[in-house]
Amino acid sequence: MSIGSTASLVEEKAAADLRPTGLPGWLRKALRLLLGLTATALIWEAAVLLFGIRPAYLPRLSTILMAIAATPGAYFNGFLRTSAETLIGFLTGSAFGLLTGIAFFRVRALREMIFPIFVVSQTIPVIAFGALVVLWFGNTLLAKAVIAFYLTFFPVTVNTLLGLETVDPKQVALMRSFGASNGQLMLRLQLPTALPQIFVALRLASSLSLVGAIVGEWFGDTTGLGVLLLQAMFTENVVAIWGALLAAALLGTGFYAVVAAAERRLVFWSAEQ
Amino acid sequence: MSGSPLASSPLAVQRGILGAVILVVCWEGLARGLHLPSYVLPAVSEILAGVWSKRALLGEAAGYTVLEALVGYGLGCLIGIGLAVAITMLPPLRAVILPAATAINSVPVVAYSPLILLWFGIGVASKMVMVAMAVSFTVFLSTLAGLDRVDRRAIDLMRSFGAGRLNILWRLRLPTALPLLLAGMRVSTVRSVIVAIITEMLGAYGGLGWVIYQAVLQIDFVQVWSAIFVASAASLSFFGLIGFLERKILFWT
Repeated sequence: MSIGSTASLVEEKAAADLRPTGLPGWLRKALRLLLGLTATALIWEAAVLLFGIRPAYLPRLSTILMAIAATPGAYFNGFLRTSAETLIGFLTGSAFGLLTGIAFFRVRALREMIFPIFVVSQTIPVIAFGALVVLWFGNTLLAKAVIAFYLTFFPVTVNTLLGLETVDPKQVALMRSFGASNGQLMLRLQLPTALPQIFVALRLASSLSLVGAIVGEWFGDTTGLGVLLLQAMFTENVVAIWGALLAAALLGTGFYAVVAAAERRLVFWSAEQ
Repeated sequence: MSGSPLASSPLAVQRGILGAVILVVCWEGLARGLHLPSYVLPAVSEILAGVWSKRALLGEAAGYTVLEALVGYGLGCLIGIGLAVAITMLPPLRAVILPAATAINSVPVVAYSPLILLWFGIGVASKMVMVAMAVSFTVFLSTLAGLDRVDRRAIDLMRSFGAGRLNILWRLRLPTALPLLLAGMRVSTVRSVIVAIITEMLGAYGGLGWVIYQAVLQIDFVQVWSAIFVASAASLSFFGLIGFLERKILFWT
């Protein structure tokens, strides 16, 4: 009965599914990516022109890009601001998730007392919480980072715990028999064993922290991608909405790619690769 | 999920209840002891009293939100499962649908809400669409993962007995995919309620998100918390219901 564990499982299967296989060299990957993007752009542009889609639904890609190019400052600042909120929320959330995961693993009573509260906390709609956080911390970058943190930590807690649970007791006994301390056991055996599982959660958390940052900005702010989205909605400017969406997509995929790259570095032994 | 390290034993349930009681007592003590104003943190008893006194309003709002979440959830599950089955039955579709779905999902779902509100208006339709979007991707990925998990040899065996694609789908692939599919559906329940509420905040005629937004504007934080409690209870019961159905359907695990 855990929300996050299965979410991460699903995520893991999905990620395994989407990962391109047997592509040696980053250059070929980059080329393929470029090709995919160009194809998408062409199809988008052609579809809008061919089917005569009204700009109120889907503007031409070139129109959107030109709108971004017309006011690059707003998008650039918004991008930076939202990235900062996302990053702070992600880092603190992951650290907190990791620590609580380890604490829950070590102290069973703690887990049984607090874990259900964590589960319930995840059913609180983040916007309601957002209004309170902005009230508590003021309308600052910190408030948005707290919301991102709140969305981020839970999957990391769950997967750290699940990952640590998969450690083979015989290996633990072996290391103990050689006189390994608790700390050594954790650093040398338990954390490395849990790492693939933890990274699944980190990938999920990278997109969740972006959600937190964007939604957090809806409670009144002046810069950020969430602000751009909201302003565009109020002025019914569909082109600007799509511009902000593209920026959010760039931030989301970029961040995800960084986490995935870190995973390939650190979990080099994973069978999935 | 029996056998999972997070499965509950009687002792765990007792400790869970103990944890909840400690939380409530600390919360109540903190709010009352320090005389915190309600915009910082109202006491639990105040919130519960607020829920009771505003039960008509909150009940109506919850009904509105739950309706949006349920319809959107149903639509999302149908779309997700349908796409996954379509890809499995017609493999050439995979190269089109999978990248498209991933691209759409690279933007956080909530970021689409301004666009969806403009397209579908601020009535219930826009919330249902948002929920359906949020749910369908998760269900799609989990169903696809489940359908792909099938043992090749089992397919070959069925084929050697002359089974067609539909037959293999119905008798082999779907039952094999069911645990992952249902897990994806269970995970999506909480998200569906939250997405409905978030979308309501940006514009709606009613619902819990609308109530929360109005209460924030009127600086009525007891009402904010009351709505949060109701929303949380709704999410948990939805989650519990799907979890219960999951255990009923997956009687063999």
